[in-house]
Amino acid sequence: MPPKGTVRCRVGGGELGEEVARLFGAGALRALAGYVPMYCWSSFTEVYLLREELLEAVDRVLSSGRVPYSAGLYAGRLRRSRPRFIPSHLLVERVYEALGRYVRALEASEQGVRVVLYGRDILRLSTLRCFEPIEKGEVVSVVGTDGRVYALGLSEVDSCSELERLRAEDVVARVIFDLGWYLRGGTVARERKYRV
Amino acid sequence: MPGYTEALSTVWDRIRSSISSRVEEVASTYGYLSYMVARYLEILSSWEDVLELLNAFERELPRSIRVNTLRFRNPGEVVERLQVLGYALTPVPWERYSYTVVKPGRVPLGATHEFLLGGYYLYRGLASLLPPVALNPTGSDRVLDAAAAPGGKTTHMAQLMGGRGLIVAVDVDRERFRALRTNLERMGVENVVALRMDSRLVPKVFGRFFTKALLDAPCTGEGIIQLDRSRKVKTSFEDLVRAHRLQVELLRATVESVVPGGLVLYSTCSIAPEEDEFTVAEVLESSDRVEVVDIPLELDLMPGLGEYFGVGLPDGVRRCRRVYPHKHGMEGFFLCLLRVL
Repeated sequence: MPPKGTVRCRVGGGELGEEVARLFGAGALRALAGYVPMYCWSSFTEVYLLREELLEAVDRVLSSGRVPYSAGLYAGRLRRSRPRFIPSHLLVERVYEALGRYVRALEASEQGVRVVLYGRDILRLSTLRCFEPIEKGEVVSVVGTDGRVYALGLSEVDSCSELERLRAEDVVARVIFDLGWYLRGGTVARERKYRV
Repeated sequence: MPGYTEALSTVWDRIRSSISSRVEEVASTYGYLSYMVARYLEILSSWEDVLELLNAFERELPRSIRVNTLRFRNPGEVVERLQVLGYALTPVPWERYSYTVVKPGRVPLGATHEFLLGGYYLYRGLASLLPPVALNPTGSDRVLDAAAAPGGKTTHMAQLMGGRGLIVAVDVDRERFRALRTNLERMGVENVVALRMDSRLVPKVFGRFFTKALLDAPCTGEGIIQLDRSRKVKTSFEDLVRAHRLQVELLRATVESVVPGGLVLYSTCSIAPEEDEFTVAEVLESSDRVEVVDIPLELDLMPGLGEYFGVGLPDGVRRCRRVYPHKHGMEGFFLCLLRVL
């Protein structure tokens, strides 16, 4: 969703790459190959990844004094405070594909995924595996056993080893976006996209 | 020489004078405005067909899905996952990724994990699959979707294009645009630039830029009475004329946005000739830059009308195609493929 107020957009810039490398490592930049980022900002900044085929159209739109509502692949949101970057689940899946492994991830049981899709947090009980690095207050993805990203959360722990001392009902990550949003708030109802 | 828009006032006079007691009786039995039934008799020529149409509008349409290969490279995976949930699906013969739902499963189709993961788009009837298939965009096309929200046809075209090329998706309605944006994201579409604006302004922003365009025009919905029974009585003839005028303006702007040799697919979910053949005829008459061409669909659809209440329509309009619920088992629909010269 474009941020409210006067929205401005620009094509190109390194902020997205910096954030992706910071979160997932330099190897994750392979997920951005072949794309140019577009930043649209007002009170926060939405980031999109554009293939070359889209650039001329976007240029004509911007030249006419308009801004696109969205364009290309939605990559996530840049913020002024922590978490500085919330990647979209689409971008996270691409990063995992590029890396060939999970990072900053919690693998959830089937029951855990079901609960998360109702907007609830991910508990120790539902966490099957944990993939470093994990930092308290930083973004972590919730992946299902099918390899799909179902939610994004903010970690409540500073490393995977901390899970060992948690009780079954303790929260491992506070969910800030889950795919259930597409059902609950993505169309008509106005549930905020990110609960942060 | 007066155009086809002006001819609609003559049409209205003739519709009114054709309302017989039989028309009024049938309209009353099925709960329609009389003028609508009088038009169906003119379009279909026999009472038998009219009654079949009205009976078809009383039946529910089977739901259908289009598996999204942009998110699931193997469509069979989505089908298998839905079968595990209790769904029974049969393939749509003319759209390789689409299935009719013949038995519902345990979870509503709009709430499965597979839906949330962007595994499929959900349809209330099959006819909405026709326009993208008829336009057949490829990854080397620059496509305008001039009335894009909520995004079923946009995401379908993106899939047909393999996620490459370009689609500019335009719509003016704020709430419907939210749904479009959400569907694009849910389904992992990355070749779309979405613009919330009046499509009539597209030529000013882009000039002649697109190789193909789809205008699935806003209409009165006179083909989807199965989905909204209030449509039996809520549309006046003045509403139809108003819709026609807007459709003409949108179609003209769409044609002006396409390069010579490019294609425009005009469609509506309406069987009203006022919104269909008369819209195309008005644009054909006022421009020598566009012609109707055959639609490359291997389906036995009905030709466009050649005449309506004594008003002759241009020859090319018969190359357009009509879809009827009682003949094709889908919503009522209209399709017309135009080539820009």
